[in-house]
Amino acid sequence: MSEISTATELPWLWAGLAAYALATFIAVRSVFVRGQSAGAALNRAYENQVFLFIIGGVVLLGAALADRWLRIGHGPFVNLFELLMSQLFSLGIIYGISYWRFPVIRPSAAVALPMMWILGIWILLLQPVDAPFPPTYSNNWLWVHVGMGKIFLGLSMVGTALAGIILLRSNQRLAASFRHMPSDTVLDHFAWRFMLLAFIFDSLMLVAGAVWAQDAWGRYWSWDALETSAFLTWLALGGAIHARLTYRIPIRAGAIFICIVFVLAFLTYFGAPFYSQAAHKGVI
Amino acid sequence: MRMLLRPLSSLRLTLAGMILLAIGAGLSYGNPMNMPVWVLVVPMAVLALNLLSAIIVNPRIHRRASLLVFHLGLLGVVILSAVGFLTRYEAHVELLQGTGFSTDGLFDQRKGPWHSGELDKVHFVQGPYTVDYAAHMMRGHTRSQVEVPDGRGGWETKVIGDDRPLVIDGYRFYTSFNKGFAPILTWIPDQGQAVTGSVHMPSYPLFEFKQDNSWAPPGGPQIKFWLRLTTGMTDKQSWVLDGSKTQGVLVVNTASERKELKPGDRVKIPGGTLRYERLSTWMGYKIFYDPTLHWLFVTAIIGILGLFAHFWRKFGASWASMGRVSGEAVARTSSPRGNAI
Repeated sequence: MSEISTATELPWLWAGLAAYALATFIAVRSVFVRGQSAGAALNRAYENQVFLFIIGGVVLLGAALADRWLRIGHGPFVNLFELLMSQLFSLGIIYGISYWRFPVIRPSAAVALPMMWILGIWILLLQPVDAPFPPTYSNNWLWVHVGMGKIFLGLSMVGTALAGIILLRSNQRLAASFRHMPSDTVLDHFAWRFMLLAFIFDSLMLVAGAVWAQDAWGRYWSWDALETSAFLTWLALGGAIHARLTYRIPIRAGAIFICIVFVLAFLTYFGAPFYSQAAHKGVI
Repeated sequence: MRMLLRPLSSLRLTLAGMILLAIGAGLSYGNPMNMPVWVLVVPMAVLALNLLSAIIVNPRIHRRASLLVFHLGLLGVVILSAVGFLTRYEAHVELLQGTGFSTDGLFDQRKGPWHSGELDKVHFVQGPYTVDYAAHMMRGHTRSQVEVPDGRGGWETKVIGDDRPLVIDGYRFYTSFNKGFAPILTWIPDQGQAVTGSVHMPSYPLFEFKQDNSWAPPGGPQIKFWLRLTTGMTDKQSWVLDGSKTQGVLVVNTASERKELKPGDRVKIPGGTLRYERLSTWMGYKIFYDPTLHWLFVTAIIGILGLFAHFWRKFGASWASMGRVSGEAVARTSSPRGNAI
C-alpha cells in the first residue's frame, strides 16, 4: 500500500494504459464488428483515432517512465514492473511508427494491440516496487543492448501481427474482417521482412549484451538462463529464415513459425529473467 | 572440389546444424563447465564447414557483396570464438593492501591449450578500497585503488571496479564480491628473526558471522584467531565498507589462554611473542584473458552491417513504397526452390 501511495508515476501509467485501451477497442471494433456489418475495414477516421490514442499512450507512458526515473534515480532496467512499463512504451513507439509509415498494415492493430495487453494486464497486477540499481548496470553498453532488444521485440510484434492475420483469415468468418488487407502472399512477405529486420536488431542486441557482460561480469557469454534463451530465439529466427529460403513452406506454416519465434522472444524477455534470480548476475 | 563442397553447402545441413546447436545450447544452460564441450563444438564445426562451403560454391552468397560480408562475419565469429576458447585464461587471486600482484597466489585457474600470455610480467600494487551497500545488504559500486607502473619509472593510480576492469597486457582484472580483512601480525620467536605476515579472514560481509582463521607460526603452536569488527554494517540503510574507517579487535586463542588485542598489542605464546600490528584489507580479483575479444566484436559488427546493407539494397526501395502501394509488388519475387523474403 505504501509503495502505491509513493509511486507518483501510477496515474501516468494508468492514463497511458487507458489510451492504449481506447486504441485497442476502436481497432478491434472497427475490424471485427464494422468489418462484418459494413463490409469495410478501418476507414480513415478510425485509423486516425487509433493512431492518436497509440501516440497518446506512448506520451503518457513516457511521462510515467520519466516520473519514476526521477523518483527512484535510475532507469527502467531492474525489475519486472519497470521492464513491462518500458516495453509497453517501446512497443507503442515501434508499432506506432510502423502504423503511420505503412498504411497497408493498419488493420493489424486489431491483432497487435491485444498482444500488448498481455503486458498491460500483467503490469496492473504488480506492485511498483523499487529495486537497487546493480553496479554492473552502470554501463553504456546496457543502453545499446536494451535499445536493440526493444527494437527487435517491436519489429517481431509487427511481423507476428501480420502472421496472426494470415492465421485468423483461415477462419471464414474472421476472413471477412480482414478482407480489405492485401492477400496472404503479400502479408507473408511483409511479415518476413519485419522478421528479417528484427533478426538484424536481435543480432545487435546479442553483440551489445556480450560487450556489456564482459565489462560487468568478466565474461561475454556463460550460458545463463537469459543468454541461453536469447540465443535459442536468435537461432530459431535464423533457422526459420533459412527454412523459408530452403523449402516452399506454405504461407500458414510460415505464419506459425513467426508466432513461435515471437513466443520464444516473449519468454526470453518476460520469463527467463524471472525464472532464475541469477539470470543476469548483476540483478542480485 | 566444387562437387565435394556442394553437398556440404546445403541449406538443409545448415538447418540440421542449427537444430544440433540449439540442443547443445539447451544442454549447456546453467552448467557449461560440466557439459562435454563437443555438444557445442560439433554443431559449430558442422555449421562452420557448411558456411565455408556455401560461401565458396553458392553464387547467391558470393555474388552479393553484402550477403558475402554477413556470412564471412558469421564464419569469423565462429572461428574467433574457437580460437578464444583455446587461448583463454581465467583465474582468481586475493591481494593484500600494499602488496604487488604475483602469480603465486592464483587459484581456480582455467587455461586453454594455446594460451601463451605472460601473466608473470603483469605488475601492479593493491591499494585501499571502498564498497557501497544499499539497504538489505545490496552491494553497489566497488572502488578499488591500484598503483600501476606508468612506463616512465613511476606509478599511476587507477580506480577500478566490478564493471571497470584493470587491463594490463590483455589480462583483465575485475573486482568481485570476494574481499575482506586481514590482520597484520609479527611473530617474534624466542630465538631467531621476527617475521611479519597477514592472516586473510573470510570474505566480508558475506561471512560477517565467521571472521575466524588459524595459523601456526614457525616453531610455535597452532593459534586460532577471531576478528571482531566495527565497520558500520547495517541491513536497514545504505552504508560504505571502508577499511580505513574500520576497527578490529583480534581475539587470540591458544591452548591455554584467550586474549583480545588492539593494534600494537602483543601476547606471549609458547615459543615466542605475537604482535598485532594493524588491520588491513584484501581484495579478490577475477582474471580474464582472451586475445580475440576486440576482433570478435569488430567481426560481428561488420557481419551485421553486411546483413543490414543486403536488406537495404534488396528491400529499401520497396519498403519506401510500402506506404503508398497495396503491396502486391513486394510479393512478386521468389527463389527457384524456397520463398524470397
